[in-house]
Amino acid sequence: MSSEVKLDAKIPDGPLAEKWDRHQFNLKLVNPANKKKFQIIVVGTGLAGASAAATLAELGYNVKNFCIQDSPRRAHSIAAQGGINAAKNYANDGDSVWRLFYDTIKGGDFRAREGNVYRLAQLSCNIIDHCVAQGIPFARDYGGLLDNRSFGGAQVSRTFYAKGQTGQQLLLGAYSALMRQVATGKVTLFPRREMLDLVTVDGKARGIVTRNLITGDIETYDAHAVVLATGGYGNVFNLSTNAMASNVTAAFRAYKKGAYFANPCFTQIHPTCIPVHGTYQSKLTLMSESLRNDGRVWVPKKPGDKRRPAEIPESERDYFLENKYPSFGNLVPRDVASRNAKEQCDKGKGVGETGLAVYLDFADAIARDGEDVIAGKYGNLFEMYEKITGENPYKTPMMIYPAVHYTMGGLWVDYNLMSTIDGLFVLGEANFSDHGANRLGASALMQGLADGYFVIPYTIGGYLAGTEFADVNAAKTPEFAESVDAVQRRVDKFLSINGNRTVSEFHRELGLILWEHCGMSRNEEGLVKAKTLIQNLRREFWENVYIPGTGQDLNQSLENAGRVADYLEFGELMVNDALERKESCGCHFNTAYQTDENEAKRDDENFCHVAAWEYTGDDETPRFHKEPLVFENVELSQRSYK
Amino acid sequence: MISKTINLTLKVWRQNRSDKIGRLETYPAKDISVDMSFLEMLDVVNEDLTRQKKEPIAFDHDCREGICGMCGAVVNGRAHGHEKETTLCQLHMRHFSDGDTIVIEPWRARAFPLIKDLVVDRSALDKVIAAGGYISVNAGGAPDANSLPISRDVAEKAFNAAACIGCGACVAACPNASAMLFVSAKVSHLAALPQGKPEAARRAMAMVRQMDACGFGNCSNETECEAECPKGISIIEIARLNREYFKSEFA
Amino acid sequence: MNWFIEMLRSSIGKKLMMAITGLAFILFLLIHLIGNLTLYGGKELFLSYVDHLHALGPLIRVAEIGLLTFAIIHVSTGLILFWQNLQARPVRYQVDKRAGGRTIGSATMPYTGVLILGFVVVHLLNFHFIDHTQQTVFQAVDATFAMLPYVVFYTVAVIVVAIHVSHGFWSLFQTIGANHIKYMPAIKGLGVIISLLVAAGFGFIPVYVSFIM
Repeated sequence: MSSEVKLDAKIPDGPLAEKWDRHQFNLKLVNPANKKKFQIIVVGTGLAGASAAATLAELGYNVKNFCIQDSPRRAHSIAAQGGINAAKNYANDGDSVWRLFYDTIKGGDFRAREGNVYRLAQLSCNIIDHCVAQGIPFARDYGGLLDNRSFGGAQVSRTFYAKGQTGQQLLLGAYSALMRQVATGKVTLFPRREMLDLVTVDGKARGIVTRNLITGDIETYDAHAVVLATGGYGNVFNLSTNAMASNVTAAFRAYKKGAYFANPCFTQIHPTCIPVHGTYQSKLTLMSESLRNDGRVWVPKKPGDKRRPAEIPESERDYFLENKYPSFGNLVPRDVASRNAKEQCDKGKGVGETGLAVYLDFADAIARDGEDVIAGKYGNLFEMYEKITGENPYKTPMMIYPAVHYTMGGLWVDYNLMSTIDGLFVLGEANFSDHGANRLGASALMQGLADGYFVIPYTIGGYLAGTEFADVNAAKTPEFAESVDAVQRRVDKFLSINGNRTVSEFHRELGLILWEHCGMSRNEEGLVKAKTLIQNLRREFWENVYIPGTGQDLNQSLENAGRVADYLEFGELMVNDALERKESCGCHFNTAYQTDENEAKRDDENFCHVAAWEYTGDDETPRFHKEPLVFENVELSQRSYK
Repeated sequence: MISKTINLTLKVWRQNRSDKIGRLETYPAKDISVDMSFLEMLDVVNEDLTRQKKEPIAFDHDCREGICGMCGAVVNGRAHGHEKETTLCQLHMRHFSDGDTIVIEPWRARAFPLIKDLVVDRSALDKVIAAGGYISVNAGGAPDANSLPISRDVAEKAFNAAACIGCGACVAACPNASAMLFVSAKVSHLAALPQGKPEAARRAMAMVRQMDACGFGNCSNETECEAECPKGISIIEIARLNREYFKSEFA
Repeated sequence: MNWFIEMLRSSIGKKLMMAITGLAFILFLLIHLIGNLTLYGGKELFLSYVDHLHALGPLIRVAEIGLLTFAIIHVSTGLILFWQNLQARPVRYQVDKRAGGRTIGSATMPYTGVLILGFVVVHLLNFHFIDHTQQTVFQAVDATFAMLPYVVFYTVAVIVVAIHVSHGFWSLFQTIGANHIKYMPAIKGLGVIISLLVAAGFGFIPVYVSFIM
């Protein structure tokens, strides 16, 4: 399956610390007077999309910005709670750009590019400066300076936060910047639009086809470059912490037009979510992992112990993370924490009605710091927990269980964030990103904003300045009409199947298959089985799904059908990828490859690469490409959080 | 979490297009687990409707964790339902009793034209933000984040106002369909911070003008907005907006 | 001047007009109340108060014109606000419940306002636009409150005024931006006290004149 084509990541030469500076200098510039001649489409208004659209407009480009919700402010970045990392070293505890870089590379289990990650660490400081200037109300100490906390797997305090609503505040900052550009006329906003196809002309991304979710109109838009910032695909599992409208469709349509999809099997399972309560559960709610700073994770020592938590004496509790990882304790990276929780539950030591939960106990923290201090730090999270479960976490331990949260995989991009299609840039969670096989806490916000505020404004200029553009017009260029036809045919097909099962039923079934076989731990047998199950389910979907209503109206069932149809194909791509990677690394834990201590065992000899998949046709096996990862600055080590 | 279930009768506003006449339709909601959220309950009803080959109820929703501000409906006369500081997606069915009848209506305001069923167009709120709900800084030129100390109290004050999620419940709950709480939250957030001061006057004036142009009603200090705001934003922000507005006009 | 008109036309500007004129009326009401309390001192005291008042001459005219102007502003702005607010929600809710913010005072402002306007007209007809050469104000008071319907009417009317003030007082502070977490409870308390004073102080006069004097 593997091919000889080598993917060129276009990492600049030179020492790691100078790569980005040199690259910025080497990139061609667009003459200020010429910027207004360029049209750029930005799909998505999350941290990456809104920041990119705003910044590109500030530079003078004309931006068309699309989002699926009624307002750009709804994008799911808003739900990020914990914080955003920056190597400011304000805490004077030994942080540096290098340390943030190293932690991120190591946290990602050495499956990310050195060059990209180093740049991310460098830009982290600019992000904080810019966000403060925008008026983001970050937490401050009594002296009036910014407060930091340590977060998910970091031994330094480098996380900036705004109570438990950091994502909201950062997103609203980016949204404000975006709306400012909307007012100047440099950004035209297209809300309630779903991108259903990418239009390429002469091999370059030149536009998109969208469905107007209110009128059902299939619309076309042209541009000189297309920026996708459409988020992750966690909802392929049906239950995840993602918003209901989060989907893979835009990225998957681009994949079908020739953009390679990288590391699709890298999906992060977050350890601190509220456990599942029933079949009709629509989503899982994450509680910031900052909770692990003060909460202690435990289960009863005895399997099947159904006593109430208060009745279980200290001696009969197993603080399994603290016991197993004395130096990191409850702060081990997400994948390690999740896997250990599952391991405990598999041993029958899980708690709650379903046995699929572990305790996160604040009793010691409350005794130590007082309820006020704990409420100050986590008040809103505790309220949220109580709202959902009806239990008071000040009095009784929280119950948590892992849930799908973030997808490290995404469209393959080079150092310029350009995909394998010229002129198609991919930012934020939608790209395969800088997080390797596992993302550290408080890094997603950092990456989204780095991409949008500080990377794309430079790299897109380099592309635009150095490219010859043919005249393209959405109304005249035939590629647009062809794409509209295809999209319309698909919509018509959905509405004509007229079967007996609802879209949600298929989605639930797909989710269970993937959770079972392509979730926290995987094995060859399960993956092979999952592949067949997905293929069968997909076949049934196209024969037996029922979608009510029409295409000329707001039709949420139809919207979902399109997304689930893509998931049914994409799920198989994930499984293919997981099968191809015959090692364990980060979130990808294949039970056949583990150390004596049940940790992920990498195979750096054979799998120190990015797996990028090329679409070759429906029901065809996608073509595998390899981008070898070169580590010149860090030594590959076995991650150990003991 | 052993689930108790309840049976309910829903009366839901159904309306196909804004120009057609809508009406309340009655649907049974059977075997609803009390651990479900209100929107999950609607999902169940919609699944039933779909299986009967009827068109499901259109409603806006996205994050389902109370932060995106996308969801919202008036439930038994209360915006986001009767629980305090709760969005509709975070309203759980344990707060209802077996046999209840629940009337569900969309946000009602001239500035929020109805799109379908419970879905309304809240783009007026975006227009108000576009008029001035920002600090005019371009990416790139910011000084070091710690070069401007801001007292903890001020940061806290700004944060409390900044908690607004733009759901529009304040407009829906206001007897006058006024958007003052929404507008004041943004004006207060930015006016409280030193970074926001240079353009505080221009901001307040521009946002109020835009708010008026969007067709919202006038504030008459009924304080229903404060009582329904899922983020607990106080009408103190409205007083601050008024001050900022007068400052901008008279200075 | 353009900016000023623009400001007054804005939603907050209209509220400012309501607040400032409302504040003036509350002050007037309090002064009026203090003056009327002389009734409890008997005919002579009351008439000497009336004489002193009338001795102010042109000042009274100025005050009257001022009050009339404020009344026109308050009433017309109030009506505009009422109309605009109705327009702002063209389709009403089928079920409409309070969330705990509204009070009787706040919910009835336009209606109590119109009632007060009616009352003021009657009140002026009773005591102001009468032939002062034929009778003293005291005689007019005495004659009016000899009729039971008037006693009831005036008593009910001042209660309506009190309800109006119960929302109006704290609300005007909110409108001019004087809402502070430390002081608002006191302002709200003062509003209640003033409403009660108005209701009791004015409300008892007809009863006193009619039954006790």
